[in-house]
Amino acid sequence: MMTRLTCAVALMAAMSAPAVAENLIFAPDEDARFDWAGYEAFAASHRLEGERLSIFGPWRGQDRALFENVLAYFRAATGVEAVYASSENYEQQIVIDTQAGSPPDIAILPQPGLIRELAARGFLSPLGAETAGWLRENYAAGESWVGLGSATGPDGITALYALPYRSDLKSLVWYVPDNFADAGYVVPETMEDLKSLTERIAAEGASPWCIGLGSGGATGWPATDWVEEMVLRTQPVEVYDRWVTNALRFDDPAIVAAIEDFGWFARDHAFVDGGATAVATTDFRDSAAGLFAVPPKCYLMHQASFIASFFPEGVELGRDADFFYFPPYADTDLGRPVLGSGTLATITRDGRAARAFIDWLKTPIAHELWMAQTGFLTGFKGANPGAYANETLRRQGEILLNATTFRFDGSDLMPGWIGTGAFWTGMIDYVGGKPAAEVARAIQAEWDNGE
Amino acid sequence: MRGRAVDLAVALFVLICTLPVVGLFVTSFRDKDQIAASGWWTAFSPVEETRAFRLPDRGEETGVLLGATLTGSVLAGDGRVTGFGITPRAPVAFAPGEVARFSGGGTVTVSADGAFSVSDRSGHAGGRRIYYGARLSPRLTLGNYVTVLGAEGLGRSFLNSAAVAIPSTVIPAVIACFAAYALAWMRFPGRALLVSAVVVLMAVPLQMALIPLLTLYNSAGQAFGFEAKSYVGLWLAHTGFGLPLAIFILRNAMSALPGAMIEAARMDGAGDFVIFSRVVLPLTLPALAGFAVFQFIWTWNDLLVALVFLGPQDDTLVLTGRLLNLLGSHGGDWQLLAAGAFVSIAAPLCVFFALQRYLVRGLLAGVSR
Repeated sequence: MMTRLTCAVALMAAMSAPAVAENLIFAPDEDARFDWAGYEAFAASHRLEGERLSIFGPWRGQDRALFENVLAYFRAATGVEAVYASSENYEQQIVIDTQAGSPPDIAILPQPGLIRELAARGFLSPLGAETAGWLRENYAAGESWVGLGSATGPDGITALYALPYRSDLKSLVWYVPDNFADAGYVVPETMEDLKSLTERIAAEGASPWCIGLGSGGATGWPATDWVEEMVLRTQPVEVYDRWVTNALRFDDPAIVAAIEDFGWFARDHAFVDGGATAVATTDFRDSAAGLFAVPPKCYLMHQASFIASFFPEGVELGRDADFFYFPPYADTDLGRPVLGSGTLATITRDGRAARAFIDWLKTPIAHELWMAQTGFLTGFKGANPGAYANETLRRQGEILLNATTFRFDGSDLMPGWIGTGAFWTGMIDYVGGKPAAEVARAIQAEWDNGE
Repeated sequence: MRGRAVDLAVALFVLICTLPVVGLFVTSFRDKDQIAASGWWTAFSPVEETRAFRLPDRGEETGVLLGATLTGSVLAGDGRVTGFGITPRAPVAFAPGEVARFSGGGTVTVSADGAFSVSDRSGHAGGRRIYYGARLSPRLTLGNYVTVLGAEGLGRSFLNSAAVAIPSTVIPAVIACFAAYALAWMRFPGRALLVSAVVVLMAVPLQMALIPLLTLYNSAGQAFGFEAKSYVGLWLAHTGFGLPLAIFILRNAMSALPGAMIEAARMDGAGDFVIFSRVVLPLTLPALAGFAVFQFIWTWNDLLVALVFLGPQDDTLVLTGRLLNLLGSHGGDWQLLAAGAFVSIAAPLCVFFALQRYLVRGLLAGVSR
C-alpha cells in the first residue's frame, strides 16, 4: 500500500515538474542496504505537495549529479518541488543573496566560519534544541559537531544553526600497495614509524613524499591541513580549539613547533619529489600522479579523501591505490584525532519545506543513498555502513566513526582573512625558506590588525 | 629596412598573442592524464611512456588452468614496447623478447608488439603487475567536446546567454546615442560637468553596486508583486554598467564631426532630431559598432552579474556558469575548460567578424579627441 502510494507520489512529482526528470536510481523496497521503512515513515509524515524549496550548495559537476539523485527521493517522498543550484563563487553569492533579501530556502556550506557570520547577522534560522539533541546522540563525536554547527545569533543566544551532511576525511596517507610490497615497506602504525619509513625511502635513493600546495587562488591550503594535523598530534585538543579562535596566539611555541614538524617532511630536499622548492609550485591535483608514475616519483601522499577523484583513469581503489590513517605519535597520549571537513545545511528562509528537508537529512536513507553512489562519507551512526559503494569508502567511514576526537579543518574555522588568506600565504613563505617563528609572527600580526 | 623591422615586430606580437590560443586549442583535444603528464606542444610527437600493467587474475580467467600459459597484450592501441620489467624501480630492465623470472616462481616475457605470455605453475603471477616502456603514437580525442556539447542544459544556457547579451547590448547603445548627441552638440548649463561625471563613473567598480541594486529590486519586487530576479533586471543592470563607456565613446566620435556640417543642417531648417538621425548617427556608426562588440563580448562572458541578478538555477543559468559547473566541485576537470572555451567563444567570434570592419575605425574615432 505504502509502496504504491510512494510510486504514485513519484509519478505525480514527475508530472508536476516536467523540467526535472524523476529518476529513482535504486528501486524502492528492493535493495536491503537501504532503510526503506524509515523512508516510508518519513514520506507519510511529510506530505507537502505543491510547496517549493530552493537549495543552494557547493556541489558541481559529478557531485551535483549524485546529489540530484538523492534529492529525487526527497521530492518523491514529500511532493516538494525542490530545486538545487550551485555556482563557483558560492561564498560570495550567499552573502550577496542573504544581504539583499533574496536568499534560497536552504544553504549548504562548507565553511563554519561563514555560517557563524551569517547567523550573527540574523540571516539563518536556528534548527531547534531537538535537532541539537539528535545530533549529539546520533553522530560519532557528536559533541564536536554540535559545537561546530552552533553560533550566536543577533539576539545573543547561542543555538544550533547547521546540520552536517557529507564529510571529507583529511587524516589519510595514500600509497600504492604494489610499490610498497616490491620495496618491502609496511604501513606505519605510529608517527615515529612514518618518519623512519620516510628516512628509509630517502636513504634508498627515492623520494618518499609527493606534496603539492598549488591550487590557483587558494595555493597553500594543503599545508594548512598538515599543520593542523601536527597540532592535533602534538598538543591536547583544547590547544587546537583555542588556536583556531586565537585565544592561543598563532606565534605560540606549540604552533611554531607544529609548523616545524610539517617542515621536517616538506622542507627536506631528499624527502619530497622534485625537492622542497617544487612543493609550492606543484598543483595538488597533479601531485597525485607522482604516486602512480613508473618508476614511482614518490611513495606517500597526505591528502583528503576526495583526492581519489584526481587519480589517473583506471586506478582501482583498494588494489592500485590505498590509504592508511595518518598516525599519531606513540609517545603522546592524545588518542586518535581525526581532521576532516564537510558541508553543513542551514535554513536561510524558514518554512515547512525547509524544515522537512532538515528532517530528511536526519533519516538514514538520505545518507545511504549517497554512500552507495561513492563520494560520500558520514559520521551519522544510524546509516548502514554496508551501503558504502566500496571497501575503501567503508574503511574511511570507519575511521570517522571510530574517531575519539573529530576536529574540523581549522583554516575554515578561522576568520576569512586568516584561514583563507594569511595562513595560506604564510605557508608558502615557510616552504620557501622563511623561519617558522617569523611566519607565525606575521600571521598573528595580520590577525591583530583585523580585516 | 624600417618597414621590414615593423613587419617583424608585428609578426612577433601576433605570434605572442595567438600562441596561448593555439595551446588552448591543442589542449582541448587531449585527455586529462595527458594534460597532467606533458605540455601541449608534445601532443603531435610520439611519446615515450613507462607504465604498469596488471596481469589478469587466475580467478577472472575462466577456463585457464593452473600451470597453463597466460597470454594477452599490454598495449591497448598502437605503439611499440621498448623494454619491460617486473619491479617498479627497474621497469625496463629486460629487452623485448627476454624472459624475466618472478621471485616467487613463474616467468614472463613481453615482445615488442606488446604481446605478453606468462607461464606460472605456482599461481603466483596472477594479479601481479608488470612494467613496460613503450613508444606510443600521438593520441588526440574529441571526447572533451562530446562531454561539453552533450552536457545537460547546454543548449538552454546558450539561449539564456543570448537572451542576456543581445538586449544588454542594444538598450545601452540606443540610450547612449541620444545622450552622446546631447552632450556633444546641444548647449545647456552644466554640460561639461555632466561629461566629466560620466567619465568619472567609468572608474566605479560595478561590484560595489551589486548588493544595493539587488536590495532595490527585492523591495520593488515585493511592493509591486514581480519576481526580483529576472531578465529585465539583468538588462537594466548591464545597461547601467555599460552606459558610461558607451556615452564616452559615442560623444567623442560625435564631437569629432565638423561643426560647419551641423551648422549647415541647422541653417537648412533641420531640428535636433533630424540632425541626429540623418546626419550625426550615420557618421558615427563605426563607433557604435565598436561599442556593440565590446558590450556584447563583456555581457556574453560575464558570470558574476548574471549569477547575482538571474541566479544559478538550472533554467536561468548562463553559458559561462554552465561550463564552470562542468569542472566539478574541486575544479579539477579542466580539460573540459579548454573545450568549453572554444564552444563559448563561437558567438562572440561571429559578432566580431560581422562588425570587425567597423571596430578599428570605431576605436580610433573614440580616441581621436
